[in-house]
Amino acid sequence: MDFSFSEDQRSLVQGARAYFSGRYGPEVLRRLDLDGLCNPEIWKGLTEMGLTGLLVPSEQGGMGMGLVEGALIAAECGRVALAEPLVDTALIAVPWLISRGDTEALAKIAAGEKRVAISHVINPWLNDGDGTPLESIDPLRHLTTVEDAENDPFLLDLGALMSAAQLIGVGDAMLSQAVEYAKIRTQFGQPIGAFQAIKHQLANCVGAIEFAKPVVWRAAQAMQDALPLAPVHVSHAKFAATDAATLTAETAIQVHGAMGYTYEVDLHFWMKRCWALAGAWGDRAFHLRRIDHAVLGGEGNKWPLAIGPEHTFS
Amino acid sequence: MQLTYTPEQEAFRADVRAWMQANVPREPLATLECREGYDQHVAWERTLASDNWGMVTWPEAYGGRGLDLIQWLIFEEEYFRANAPNRANQNGIFLLGPTIMEYGTEEQKQRFLKPMAKGEVIWAQAWSEPGAGSDLAAISSRGVRDGDHYVLTGQKTWSSRAAFADWGFGIFRTEPNSKRHKGLSFILFDLNTPGITRRPIRQLHGEAGFAELFFDDVRVPVENRLAGEGEGWNVAMATAGFERGLMLRSPGRFQATAKQLIDLYRKHESHASPGAREAVIQAWGAAQAYAYNTYAVAAKIIAGGKIGAEASLNKIFWSELDRTMHRTAMQLLGAQAELKRFADGTLNHWLEGYIFSLSGPIYAGSNEIQRNIIAERLLGLPRLGAG
Repeated sequence: MDFSFSEDQRSLVQGARAYFSGRYGPEVLRRLDLDGLCNPEIWKGLTEMGLTGLLVPSEQGGMGMGLVEGALIAAECGRVALAEPLVDTALIAVPWLISRGDTEALAKIAAGEKRVAISHVINPWLNDGDGTPLESIDPLRHLTTVEDAENDPFLLDLGALMSAAQLIGVGDAMLSQAVEYAKIRTQFGQPIGAFQAIKHQLANCVGAIEFAKPVVWRAAQAMQDALPLAPVHVSHAKFAATDAATLTAETAIQVHGAMGYTYEVDLHFWMKRCWALAGAWGDRAFHLRRIDHAVLGGEGNKWPLAIGPEHTFS
Repeated sequence: MQLTYTPEQEAFRADVRAWMQANVPREPLATLECREGYDQHVAWERTLASDNWGMVTWPEAYGGRGLDLIQWLIFEEEYFRANAPNRANQNGIFLLGPTIMEYGTEEQKQRFLKPMAKGEVIWAQAWSEPGAGSDLAAISSRGVRDGDHYVLTGQKTWSSRAAFADWGFGIFRTEPNSKRHKGLSFILFDLNTPGITRRPIRQLHGEAGFAELFFDDVRVPVENRLAGEGEGWNVAMATAGFERGLMLRSPGRFQATAKQLIDLYRKHESHASPGAREAVIQAWGAAQAYAYNTYAVAAKIIAGGKIGAEASLNKIFWSELDRTMHRTAMQLLGAQAELKRFADGTLNHWLEGYIFSLSGPIYAGSNEIQRNIIAERLLGLPRLGAG
């Protein structure tokens, strides 16, 4: 029993965070938003970092990592509100293709030559497709319609897990933007962050995010270990991460005051990502129903969840 | 990350389970906050100690079993699975004990830890004063050095367990005219020392779980001081960290409550609101989240890390979860919620639990203070007036 990340996992995160934060600041997001284009150089950079092939087996030229590492990188993508659909291709499509024994595209994905996004009936569009465009409130998600969406539960769980992980990073980022603003904005002769009315709201966000994190990591490990109850843990993760990020988004705009309502302040990129991901791959109600079924399902329960102090990891 | 138990850990769980099955009292004990219940709970402490279950993480030399924090968590899970009684000595084993382990001399460890683990000496904490609650650094009780003794004067209040306990610990101003966090010392005292008057405080439910303490020239030997003279604040904050952080409220307690709440919901499903149903589902999720987080904290400490201001996150989380779960239970009980005993004579433990849960966000540092700590120490926000 060891609920901690390995040295390798920690350095993977540190490496990705250093790479992203040096290159994909808000100025990049603004340029992409204004140009309405993806910059191919960015995908090239992600490929060189090995991130497109993170979960691709080494035989196909990837790093052969697992879903825990995938979730950790998804959180880093959320932290920078990455515009490129790296999560859709590398962290959702790749493990789904592997689960189906469909390895044909993997080498090209790892090499950065191919992007694959898979649509699920629960959200029948693609973030990165070539159908008719649909306009998302998140200007950095390029949604298009699809003809045929999949209806595979494993795909749904992958999408939900990686969305939950992104929401953790999105929440962390919004919180630190609000905190930095509260330190520099002064009123009544004080930084507004000195007032308890601000402090306590931000402290609530820390609590929500910090207690959602272990739920997400536990879900990632459960999926990686292919536990029969992994879908329940994924729903718990998506539910907790959605609530934490939503609370943080609303708190962050409130702390920014009227500035938070402007395009000029960066917050809105993360807030819009939060809104999009909150509903993607199963919304709050969908995941609550799945947990409800496991906890209160009674006879014929598809996910007979053992409940009680001795069942923390049952 | 390895989220499965080793065979040794599973075997340990089986040992604890078997012991609990054989030893946990069949009938619930009277409340810890009356004389009869206190005595029953002390007897239970001694039963635990008779097989060295008093505090499993302590070295064997001090009456423990020398186990790690994962085994402690397993022990706690089985403890709450068995619905074992509350710990009369929680101030000792969970708060003062770890503090002595960190700051005590070898002589103090020998002197205090073993009787604590054995349930022979029950401890009360004595921090708050009438003028120093959330603003603990405003304390004014004094300890004046007189040869090899301190002479304590002043008043402490809300002293948990002090109505019946044997010994107490608290901080006293040992440097005359010192201000705020400076000049305080952490002192342990026998509650039966001449000059100490205890006045039990009747709580809103009618029992007296805490007390006021009056110190009238109470002579306490200098060797009862923990750590150096004037270092009391830092020692007290370490104790507070243990209180808020890991030990005082292990996850098993809340997982057990969540499970009981789920059972209660099934009984009352026909007239429950959709909101109550969602609250029940969330109770399971939140109790599990608290458990995962505690395992993560344990892993961090085992790897040599420390728990700092994050302890405040835990304290807010468990205290507000406990209140929410009990509030939900009261809603499910509807008209029956007000009954101290149901028509069939069984105790309405939800009512008792709800009343107790209202104290959680207040004791161990009010949740407002915890939110300040999080904002200032974890987020780096400025103190009011410092800008």
